[in-house]
Amino acid sequence: MTPEIVSVTEELLKKTPHPVTVIIDGRTCRANEGEIILEVAIRERIEIPHLCYEASLSPYGACRLCMVEFMRRGRMEMATSCTLRAEEGLEVITDSPKILSHRRMILELYLAEAPRSEVIKELAKKYGVTKTRFFKKIDKEDPLGNKCILCGLCVRVCNEIIGASVMSFVNRGPYTVVSTPFLEENTACLGCMACAAVCPTHAIEIGNLGAERTMVSWGKTQVKLRKCPQCGRYFAPESLSDEVYAKIDPPLTEDIRDICPECRSSNIAHAEISAASGRR
Amino acid sequence: MPNEILVRKNRGLKKIQPDIPRITVGLATCGAAIGATAVYDRLKERIRERNLEVILVPTGCIGYCREEPIVAIAHPKKPLVLLHRVTPDDVDDILDAVSLGTVPFEKALCRIEGWNHLMGCNLNYGRGFEDIPLYDDIPFFGHQKKVILRDAGLINPEDIDEFLAVGGYSAAWQALSSMNSDAVLEEVEKSGLRGRGGAGFPAGLKWRITKEKVNEKKYLICNADEGDPGAYMNRNEMESDPHMLIEGMILGAYAMDISEGLIYIRAEYPLAIRRLKHAIKEAKECGILGKNIFGTDFFFDIQIATGAGAFVCGESTALVASIEGRTGRPTPRPPRLTDSGLWGRPTDLNNVETWCNVPVIIKNGSDWYKSIGAPKNAGTKVFSLVGDVERVGLVEVPLGTTLNTIVFDIGNGSSDGKDVKAVQTGGPSGGCIPRRLFDTTVDFESLAKIGSIMGSGGIVVMDEDTNMVDIARYFISFATGESCGKCIPCREGLKHTLILLNKILGGKATPEDLDTLKSLSETIVETSLCGLGNSAPNPVLTTLAYFREEYDALVKS
Repeated sequence: MTPEIVSVTEELLKKTPHPVTVIIDGRTCRANEGEIILEVAIRERIEIPHLCYEASLSPYGACRLCMVEFMRRGRMEMATSCTLRAEEGLEVITDSPKILSHRRMILELYLAEAPRSEVIKELAKKYGVTKTRFFKKIDKEDPLGNKCILCGLCVRVCNEIIGASVMSFVNRGPYTVVSTPFLEENTACLGCMACAAVCPTHAIEIGNLGAERTMVSWGKTQVKLRKCPQCGRYFAPESLSDEVYAKIDPPLTEDIRDICPECRSSNIAHAEISAASGRR
Repeated sequence: MPNEILVRKNRGLKKIQPDIPRITVGLATCGAAIGATAVYDRLKERIRERNLEVILVPTGCIGYCREEPIVAIAHPKKPLVLLHRVTPDDVDDILDAVSLGTVPFEKALCRIEGWNHLMGCNLNYGRGFEDIPLYDDIPFFGHQKKVILRDAGLINPEDIDEFLAVGGYSAAWQALSSMNSDAVLEEVEKSGLRGRGGAGFPAGLKWRITKEKVNEKKYLICNADEGDPGAYMNRNEMESDPHMLIEGMILGAYAMDISEGLIYIRAEYPLAIRRLKHAIKEAKECGILGKNIFGTDFFFDIQIATGAGAFVCGESTALVASIEGRTGRPTPRPPRLTDSGLWGRPTDLNNVETWCNVPVIIKNGSDWYKSIGAPKNAGTKVFSLVGDVERVGLVEVPLGTTLNTIVFDIGNGSSDGKDVKAVQTGGPSGGCIPRRLFDTTVDFESLAKIGSIMGSGGIVVMDEDTNMVDIARYFISFATGESCGKCIPCREGLKHTLILLNKILGGKATPEDLDTLKSLSETIVETSLCGLGNSAPNPVLTTLAYFREEYDALVKS
């Protein structure tokens, strides 16, 4: 076979699921070869704490809470379960004393880094950590309310899925923050709120006031909302709906295009009822 | 060799050993920093004014930093004489002596009667000036074995003719004209060459893995992002002998069937960048780089990519991110670079010094190479010997040499008669080794066993006045500033380690703080995403292990 054919065949083989058996905490689990161990654990309801994982984004491995132990070449090693891949016979332990001790230390670090986050406090409590030995980082001006743990989910969803790249990491090391360029308003923001939806610690602050949606955490970027001509309510960012409308093929008809979803469904319902009852 | 190259080679020999006196000035960054440029300029001006028949050329650095600026004089058929600590005021005395066919004895450091450049070139300078000690009798030089630094300080790094004259590119010619690519790879595998970037991974194995990957495009990269405080081996290798690196990369490209190479070099090395660019241009003009190398159908080109000042970009995945124009942050491995490296293609990444080892291996064979060094640790290693040591400089010794030899025989202990207390090897990722362990041999395994690492080759000597807690604090402060901030153990963990160390040094810490320091360090080592975090707490862990009493003395009971 030519190298090209070999490579194509390998690609195809890679795409075909190969069932394998992995052992997590002594429990035998079925998985597909190459499947992310954290996914398998979630499916099997085996609890592994994690903050930076999202199935629709590429593996990142930064929160370090999902670290597990596994056996390789007769030796125990540690890896993040969000990057560890299933292979036949892989043995994984998620709650060894060593893992638990590192996990508790990391949770203490999170308590110091995001002292206002209730989510972190709850999570830490679950593993018996109620206070931290480290100095708490409190910045009264923090646009992320001292809740950000730099998991990068907002950055990644905005970049990889929305394609707007509104915010990114600024500075490095312990000075890293997530923000817009020059910490200013960013007109590239569509106001879709995907960042807030994926944020594990609910750090991103967004306000809807009349005709404007304010992305408070992102340089107070203001996004214009579209007003429903029928009911007069503001319902979605103009730029976002334009973006979405441009992708719908065939396009929405003029009569429902600018109307809010509620009015749209009520209009359709009215029309259906009228038609069913023979009235015009 | 093609005739055109032989012509250049002969011209180069004439340049190194001309019929008239030749004066060279060590003009690497280190020499320039201590005033060698002023010496060179004054020499140039006075030679012109006095209308002397003397050739003046810049060379790289011979490595004896303490004695810089170093000027060398070669009279025809006479030994090469090294002068040390030369100032512009000495220039007239030097030229007076040179025009009389002699040298200024009071400035002389040593004489070299002959020099083996190892690439099939054994230069004979001549006899004479017997009052000046021989090179080998100078303890700093005598205990060294120059393999990588064989040309450093002796040839003009900006002139390919001189490199060709001392046997340069003869290994590449030998490979391309009479060996197939597998034979080159096998020779490197048999030599047992291990990566000089720090981890010591077998270079031949990495090459084989890359070679066996099926992909229409592959890359090789030279990691020249040397960033450890106090380490400057790679800088000197590139500044003093840039063609040696290029030849190593050509051999690697040939062995792995790769046609594109990159040198990722930190922007803080402007002279190395300039000399490499110049060397690449010269090699292309000679048909040694680019299309149809040596008239064969082998094609290989090298590009230079500069960093932007981040230590973490020496980590392989961050390095690739930086070249691709992304933020220099590491990504989890696997995939390794050999699977998916630059632009998602299989990529071989080796350190500058690893590449520099390849030409001598091919030229002299793997058996010759293995005869240097220790079992499983073949070859030499260049170290920068700095800190509280009398003879500061770049030293090259066979692997398996003891720390005692390096610190005392070569370095002559501390500078003002004080006791040497410890050395730190491997930069911020390494550990502090106490004096009582100085019979440890310097090789990958022995250093790891005592909690340190070889790293890229920095050796910082500390005398009895050094506070080891403060040393740990210094390295942690460096690592904290260089952490990329992606994963929490490194980003937050190192910051709190630094806060704890400051608290200890301020006399405000409790015994519990020491426990916290230790367990936090262990978590950082075990849970960080990349090598920076995995090794950054080593200075704390080793000082806690070997100098615990210094911590205890600072803690409130």
